[in-house]
Amino acid sequence: MSSDTALRAEALGKRFGLRARWALRDCSFRLPAGRVCAVVGPNGAGKSTLLALAAGLTAPTEGSVSVLGTTPSAARPRVGFVAQDKPLYPQLTVAETLRMGADLNPGHWDAAGAERVVRGGGLDPRARVRSLSGGQRSRVALALALGKRPELLLLDEPMADLDPLARHELMGTLMAQAAQYGTTIVMSSHVVAELEDSCDHLLLVGDGRIRLAGEIDDLLAAHLRVSGAADSAGLGGHTVVESRVTGRQVSALIRPAGPLPGDWRSATPSLEELVLAHLRNPGAPALTPAETEEHAA
Amino acid sequence: MTAAPSAPARATTAPRQIRWLLRLHRPALCAWAVLVVGLAATLLWLWGPLTDAAATGWHQYHTRCWSAAPCRYDQDAILRYKDLHQYTTVAVLAVPFLAAAWAGAALTGRELETGTARLSWTQTVSPVRWLATRLTVPALLVTAGTGLLALLHHVVWSAGYHRIDSVKPWDDVPTFYTGGPIVVGLALAGLVLGALIGLLLGRSLLALCASALAVVPLWIAVHTALPHLWPVATSVSGRRAFPSYSGIKVEEGVVTASGAHRPASTCTIDLSPGCRALNDRRGATGFYTDYHPYSHYWPLQLATTGALLALAALLAGFALWLVRRRTTGTRPGGKAAPGAGTGTGAVAHAGTGAAV
Amino acid sequence: MVEYRIDRHSGVATYVQIVQQTKQALRMGLLKPGDRLPTAREVVEATAINPNTVLKAYRELEREGLVEARRGLGTFVRRSLGTAPADSPLRTELEQWAGRARAAGLERDDVAALFTAVLDTHFQGDPT
Repeated sequence: MSSDTALRAEALGKRFGLRARWALRDCSFRLPAGRVCAVVGPNGAGKSTLLALAAGLTAPTEGSVSVLGTTPSAARPRVGFVAQDKPLYPQLTVAETLRMGADLNPGHWDAAGAERVVRGGGLDPRARVRSLSGGQRSRVALALALGKRPELLLLDEPMADLDPLARHELMGTLMAQAAQYGTTIVMSSHVVAELEDSCDHLLLVGDGRIRLAGEIDDLLAAHLRVSGAADSAGLGGHTVVESRVTGRQVSALIRPAGPLPGDWRSATPSLEELVLAHLRNPGAPALTPAETEEHAA
Repeated sequence: MTAAPSAPARATTAPRQIRWLLRLHRPALCAWAVLVVGLAATLLWLWGPLTDAAATGWHQYHTRCWSAAPCRYDQDAILRYKDLHQYTTVAVLAVPFLAAAWAGAALTGRELETGTARLSWTQTVSPVRWLATRLTVPALLVTAGTGLLALLHHVVWSAGYHRIDSVKPWDDVPTFYTGGPIVVGLALAGLVLGALIGLLLGRSLLALCASALAVVPLWIAVHTALPHLWPVATSVSGRRAFPSYSGIKVEEGVVTASGAHRPASTCTIDLSPGCRALNDRRGATGFYTDYHPYSHYWPLQLATTGALLALAALLAGFALWLVRRRTTGTRPGGKAAPGAGTGTGAVAHAGTGAAV
Repeated sequence: MVEYRIDRHSGVATYVQIVQQTKQALRMGLLKPGDRLPTAREVVEATAINPNTVLKAYRELEREGLVEARRGLGTFVRRSLGTAPADSPLRTELEQWAGRARAAGLERDDVAALFTAVLDTHFQGDPT
């Protein structure tokens, strides 16, 4: 397995309990190293499960996931993770929490970096974690994950509790980490707009399956937003993700298979349009890495 | 760069992990220290001055109060000894429950419930190591504290037996269980059982209650098995007498003409004409009693403790296997994740049974 | 040193915004040959955009010959753009013209539309 792959899933599936619904099923994708990847999907789509599997916190029911070219458990020292509920030991102070991070990650702890993240929020290092607000806890949890100087950073809804100012500042910190160390970052959100400018790779998860996977630019280039008169030549031959008729006009989001008939107007969709169209139409075929590679070829 | 650099790093984090575990659970650690020190001090007081005072009191009672006439003896000393002895006995008997509920169940259950377990696992601490630390450190503390208390309880008993009438013989159940390593074994088995329950339930309060309750059947099982963990002594008598013994009775019955021992639940002496007729029909030539005399005290204590330690080790192995399976996993008949060969052997290979 | 401001609602691709703002700074004389552009790290820390977007913009500027990347040192300005430094006579004339437009009762938008229309006739077909 090449070391330029940060994350690879093959037919990955997870079910909690023998009779439970599959939280994740048939997931296959490859995330190259050095990308900033958005894991997008509605609540309960399986984003958290996917991240927990990659972080080696839970074992797959079927299929496999490899992290930085090895198993999630072997990659543990090189992976940072922040869970959605930002668990921290409430009885420790902020400073103690960072000291614990330094102690438990010997040899690869960036004390200055971690402290910078905490100080950015004006946090008192002597404050007990239990007295912190949700946003402040998020900041400490991120500091703990960043201080580890990971090669792969897995963040589950990292910005959910933060005010816009802190969100912008911490996203900047994350991007700086990626720029300086080539850290691969995977972050989930159910708000596409939140991640649009920061991410260059997308995993769209819907109902436990991967709906879209690939470079955002490639995915956008593979789709067209088209509109035309209802009686114009059909879209047969192209993959129609979504199609709507308003009066005499048809507008659709398609994956073109070739040139369009001349009477269609077309434009590149925005990321949000792309995501929403796929989530609104669970029946639309997924665009998986193999397909994107074919497309690029 | 594969997993290779992580191996030395993991080895060096062990003492730091222990330090942080102690820091995280400082209140529990303090409570345990207070309990052990308080009980130990009480037992020392019982052993020295209170034993002497109570013995004097009993001596006064026996020498002066043998008739119905009013007499003076130090009743306060006798009662103080009796009360304190009772309190300390109950406290030592409670240790296995405390170990199971707090050191075992609450410790792991709470971390799973609040997600801090996952926080540890995503630092450079593997789940197996995380659990191993959370079993080893409390186990050492519980062993040290409970061992000290059992030792003191034993010397208090030795000092008071035959001198103080309220001190029960060695085979009295509370006396037997508080005066030897067996209570340490119970505490350790309880600790691991509690941790396993915490792991399975993942809820601290629920696990706390469940594991305190689970110590009850454990103790009953130990009590049932205990007499059979060491060969018994046998006392035999003819039909006209009955076997004499002292200590823990295990089994009694009749001796037949062939010399065979046939266990019986009734009429193990010729108490009545009915029994005599029954024993005639049984072909009894005499009676026997299997029992453990005082000389079996330490063998019984040690054998039972050994069995408890083996159980604790088994449960600990299962708990470690479980946590590894949950986080790394082996699928029935499935191949390990790709790249597993470069791993540190953290990939479980024990895999049998279906995925949970 | 130039500072980039990303407007995510402008509809202009983020890397294009960086290219445009760099060129603007070159035209205004805020960046001169030999100046170092901010590192990708500095830009993304301030703007929270993806590092690859910055690199893409810098590659574009390099392709146009405006900047050059020196390995391990950073990205440096090779040549400046335009001939209208802040205090040039052209600017003075424009200032005077804008003053007259206002005195004539034109609104800001009217002036902008007029200016754009004139630009379009004179610079038709030129790259922006």
